[in-house]
Amino acid sequence: MKDLMAERTVDTQKLKISARNVQVYYGDTHAIKDVNVDIEDKTVTAFIGPSGCGKSTFLRCINRMNDTIDVCRVQGDIMIDGEDIYDKRVDPVQLRAKVGMVFQKPNPFPKSIYDNVAYGPRIHGLARNKADLDDIVERALRRGAIWNEVKDRLDAPGTGLSGGQQQRLCIARAVATEPEVLLMDEPCSALDPIATAQVEELIDELRQNYSVVIVTHSMQQAARVSQKTAFFHLGNLVEYGETGTIFTNPTDPRTESYITGRIG
Amino acid sequence: MTDMTSDTPHVHGTLLQADARTRKRNAAETRFKFYGILAIAVGLLMLAILLFNIVSRGTGAFTQTFVTLDVALLEDKLDKSGNRDIEEMKKVSTFGYAPLLKAAMTDMVEKTGMEGQISAGDMADILSKGAPAQLRDYVLANPDKVGQQVSFNFLASSRVDGYMKGRVSRDSIANDKSISAEQLDFVDKLIAQGILTKKFNLSFITGADASDARPEAAGMGVAMLGSFFMMLVVLVLALPIGVAASIYLEEFAPKNWITDIIEVNISNLAAVPSIVFGILGLAVFINYMHLPTSAPLVGGLVLTLMTLPTIIISTRASLKAVPPSIRDAALGVGASKMQSVFHHVLPLAAPGILTGTIIGLAQALGETAPLLLIGMVGFIASNAPDGIASGLLAPNSAMPAQIYEWAKRADPAFYERAWGGIIILLVFLLAMNTIAVILRRRFERRW
Repeated sequence: MKDLMAERTVDTQKLKISARNVQVYYGDTHAIKDVNVDIEDKTVTAFIGPSGCGKSTFLRCINRMNDTIDVCRVQGDIMIDGEDIYDKRVDPVQLRAKVGMVFQKPNPFPKSIYDNVAYGPRIHGLARNKADLDDIVERALRRGAIWNEVKDRLDAPGTGLSGGQQQRLCIARAVATEPEVLLMDEPCSALDPIATAQVEELIDELRQNYSVVIVTHSMQQAARVSQKTAFFHLGNLVEYGETGTIFTNPTDPRTESYITGRIG
Repeated sequence: MTDMTSDTPHVHGTLLQADARTRKRNAAETRFKFYGILAIAVGLLMLAILLFNIVSRGTGAFTQTFVTLDVALLEDKLDKSGNRDIEEMKKVSTFGYAPLLKAAMTDMVEKTGMEGQISAGDMADILSKGAPAQLRDYVLANPDKVGQQVSFNFLASSRVDGYMKGRVSRDSIANDKSISAEQLDFVDKLIAQGILTKKFNLSFITGADASDARPEAAGMGVAMLGSFFMMLVVLVLALPIGVAASIYLEEFAPKNWITDIIEVNISNLAAVPSIVFGILGLAVFINYMHLPTSAPLVGGLVLTLMTLPTIIISTRASLKAVPPSIRDAALGVGASKMQSVFHHVLPLAAPGILTGTIIGLAQALGETAPLLLIGMVGFIASNAPDGIASGLLAPNSAMPAQIYEWAKRADPAFYERAWGGIIILLVFLLAMNTIAVILRRRFERRW
């Protein structure tokens, strides 16, 4: 681990998120054990690992979505741009505007496509007038790579789109609030291979503007879209480093077993 | 594993013939289906019997026997001074009008050439006891008609009405002082002349209750208004309080033993007998807070207490039914808890909440026991509420209480009206439930 840390400090990319000694408990269950990780800006970071290893839990710590679970306790420090997001002064609502999230199952609001995207900017007061809001919606839908498919039916319900379109709509909704970090919790697990390819392409484009953290069950996907990969196992961060290194030359035997299909 | 492989493998028999175990299972399934159909058939039969009874006994209340009579409004009887001064004309009581009816009856008999075997008084007695009052009201409203001949539709007395509907026969009136066989003969002649007819009676739906002597004039209207004002109170209080309580409990309250206790108690409250709420209302609202007795406001408050648990339970159920992914989506774009609830969860839960509220209201509408305890069985013969304030505070009755009141009275004519009242009440309940179904269909969204 020491070597890896050293390797990363020479990286030219700026640090965006850094977690130190993060522990997460669900009641008596110790779900995340002492995780240290540094996530860079304008990079796609993939979290891989078998089911129940804590990768989603850790992801949800980054925008404090775990706050909604009563029994969940988080210890340790998670810093975004040098600020502790678990500080008492931090309002999770403000944090979540800065750290957007895309969920496993596409979950558009049962409203029009336009309203889905416009909701975030509206509640954060990002638009001064209707034309402004129209611009924001169009920009977000373009970034979500779905503008061409929906520009003629912005008033149609978002739930009427296909699964892949819904997920890209959700991505557009997440980027509409101008976040700096985009968290994705298995965004393609409910999609077919074609829709998955579209979303993966989109993730690669999003890297230009955001720090993207993606949880995935598909190692191929992690290899395709990410620059950095973290392998979680039983609540521990086993190995973290360049995606190429993790997949070709892992240092930890558990990582090797997992990526070769012997565990998980 | 080695033990298993050493066992001889199970050999399946032919598939063309069911084995004993399969036959037994299928027989059990067939039996179960039969029991189910039987249970449903019994239920439907009971419903059919109930509906048949209600309709066959109650529809009579919606028609009433009327007598068409030309009455000469004699000036020397009604307005001796002749100056049409209302104050002076009011001095003539209903007793002053009765002779006019007798005269009108005699005139009619002469005109139609019927033989008058009975006295003018007996002839006039086939009219409702309210007929002179009806005449007087008309004259006081139209003083310029005095001195003219005016055609009236008078209600026939309840015995005559019963005779028309088959409730009263010559045998059954042997000991009845209110009507004689001769009068019934006279009625037969009037029927033949087309003077006495059975018609739809709107005043049963719109009118007020009437005294024991005039069942033919009793109506549901004022009790309906009483029920309406109670429902208004219930809706205005129970819906916001119930929905707010449910949202807090479901979305905001921490899950601990205190909220557990509250939850259990709300469920228990829904099962508390309604008469308990009645006596609570009597003790708190009337004896302690000194709100007026028999007022729809108090009835509404008591029914609110009763309806709240129903609304809370159904609201919580529909909030729970909103998928958590919607909440996550809203929180994920940076909505606050309250924004996520009010912008996304509540609209999705609204159809369920509305349905629960309407079902709760329908329950409250049909509730009788608590109303008896707070005195909402007022005998309201005339003073219909003329505004919201008097509607809430003036003594009134309610539909189910009015039905109870009628069923209690001795005269079978009232019994018929009780059944008729039940039809009106059921129409209201059916309408409310239909609205609930329509709302649910229309606003239900898939996600």
